[in-house]
Amino acid sequence: MEFVVEEGKRVDEECSTLILPALSIGNVGQLAVDLLVSSTGADRVGYLDDPYLLPCVGNDAYGPLPCGEISLPLEVYESPSTATTLAQQRSPVAKGMMIKFAENIADFAASSGKKHVIVLSSLDFQRLHHNLDMSRGPQVYYLSNAEANGRDEHCERLGFGRLNEYDSEGRCWKYLCSVFDENCKEELTFPSEDELEDIDYYPSLPFAALFSAFKARGLKVTCLLCYCSEGDNIPDAFLLTRRSRSCRLHVGSCVWRLLFHPPIDVSNRVSSMK
Amino acid sequence: MEDVLTENPPPSRFFQEDLNNFASPPPEPLPSPFIVFSNPKPELPLKPSLLIIALSSPSLYIFHTLPSKTLIGTLIIPELPFSGNTVEPSLQDKSCNIYSLSDNNNNNNSVLLVSVQLPVPPERSNLVSRLLVGQDIVPARVIILDSIQSRNFRGRLSPDEALAAKLETSSEKKAAATSRLSLDYFPSGSVIDGLSASLLSRCQLKNIRGTLVVSWPEFDPSVVRFVGALLKSIVPSLDIKSVDKDLEKYSSRTGLKRDAWLDSDLYT
Repeated sequence: MEFVVEEGKRVDEECSTLILPALSIGNVGQLAVDLLVSSTGADRVGYLDDPYLLPCVGNDAYGPLPCGEISLPLEVYESPSTATTLAQQRSPVAKGMMIKFAENIADFAASSGKKHVIVLSSLDFQRLHHNLDMSRGPQVYYLSNAEANGRDEHCERLGFGRLNEYDSEGRCWKYLCSVFDENCKEELTFPSEDELEDIDYYPSLPFAALFSAFKARGLKVTCLLCYCSEGDNIPDAFLLTRRSRSCRLHVGSCVWRLLFHPPIDVSNRVSSMK
Repeated sequence: MEDVLTENPPPSRFFQEDLNNFASPPPEPLPSPFIVFSNPKPELPLKPSLLIIALSSPSLYIFHTLPSKTLIGTLIIPELPFSGNTVEPSLQDKSCNIYSLSDNNNNNNSVLLVSVQLPVPPERSNLVSRLLVGQDIVPARVIILDSIQSRNFRGRLSPDEALAAKLETSSEKKAAATSRLSLDYFPSGSVIDGLSASLLSRCQLKNIRGTLVVSWPEFDPSVVRFVGALLKSIVPSLDIKSVDKDLEKYSSRTGLKRDAWLDSDLYT
């Protein structure tokens, strides 16, 4: 994966928190990153060129007027005011290459000095085997590498629900760990698509590959997740956007402004392309 | 109303295999695509002032009819068979030929044409676009001609209304207005994928002037005339007289294909 700085732009090393989407049902992670780019006024600083990403291009992902601002499949934005780097992915990864892609993007994050990575993703509501507690409204779940069992005190204080389905000893989670960890001596076999069971749903998702890859590179990583179904997923994206802002290590005044900002009108905007 | 659970997902939605870390990867790595140049092999990389790449049916037809072009090479994708191809280039060939419009193909200011007459898989687009832009060929400017993909277009595409739009790299946008193509921008919300997207992306990454022109319908004589006029405006010395002359043949050749989209989703 090659990081290409856009002509005339410079990278701000202070933007040490990286937020990126994992491909997921309803494109929620990508919609959320679009909202973050728009709301923070983040500026595009470059592109990531990866051989495993399928190609796509489009115009004017954010501008209300057609000015022909080209968009590429994987773009990097920076918001110095929030010390955040945002990577927006607009197209799928080639079939069977998600693990390689995760490895590449983890290499980018590590080599560019990122300290904390936040992965935004959704989960399929139809895969849920227990009732959700909706008494406090829509819930955001998290998975972190702060503790071995996925728990993070900061996320607990923010009121996020821990992803109880995370089992670090589960065969697919262990396989992901073994693939990305150079020091792992255990040789585990690639889980065949035919062998996958319900319990393997969570580690089969792109967010799990990203989580395992960032973790193996020694980066602090937090996945923020929400359950949804296919449909109008903009409210789900707003939920993840607000929660991701409070999850960042450096909570500035701009975060509070965003929380009370009127909802952004996205009726004329692209959102994510794919 | 479509059933979101059973219908094919719209362009922004994913197939199950897109969201599965454990989807089977390709059985073994494929050999890389490569370009074979004519004899004598030119000094590489070639550095044309303009590289025009045809992917759409109208543009391929025009390239095929152009006189005074010299075949200088062909791009090979190893896994794609070329059985059935003829010795002389033909519109029916599964090929990706590279032509020079200049008699002297060692001229660094020549115009190169590429006729992409084979289905490049999306997974191979990255390698193919690297060969054509930035590796064996380093153009100063690139024009890519493709069709609007109805599956990726958010809106209605009328079979009776021809239209065209463009996407440009940042370098192209900064160029003098008089040198740029006068077309509306491709609307926000719709995307282009495949090789043409990969080529334009490569231009953006390499800071090369690049324009992707997409037209609709995919097979239409009016689009052929439009593309011919567009090319003439870019390369005034281009001889496109034979395009109009043979347009009847084009219409009859593509007649079956034109009727085929009467059964498409546009009419459901």
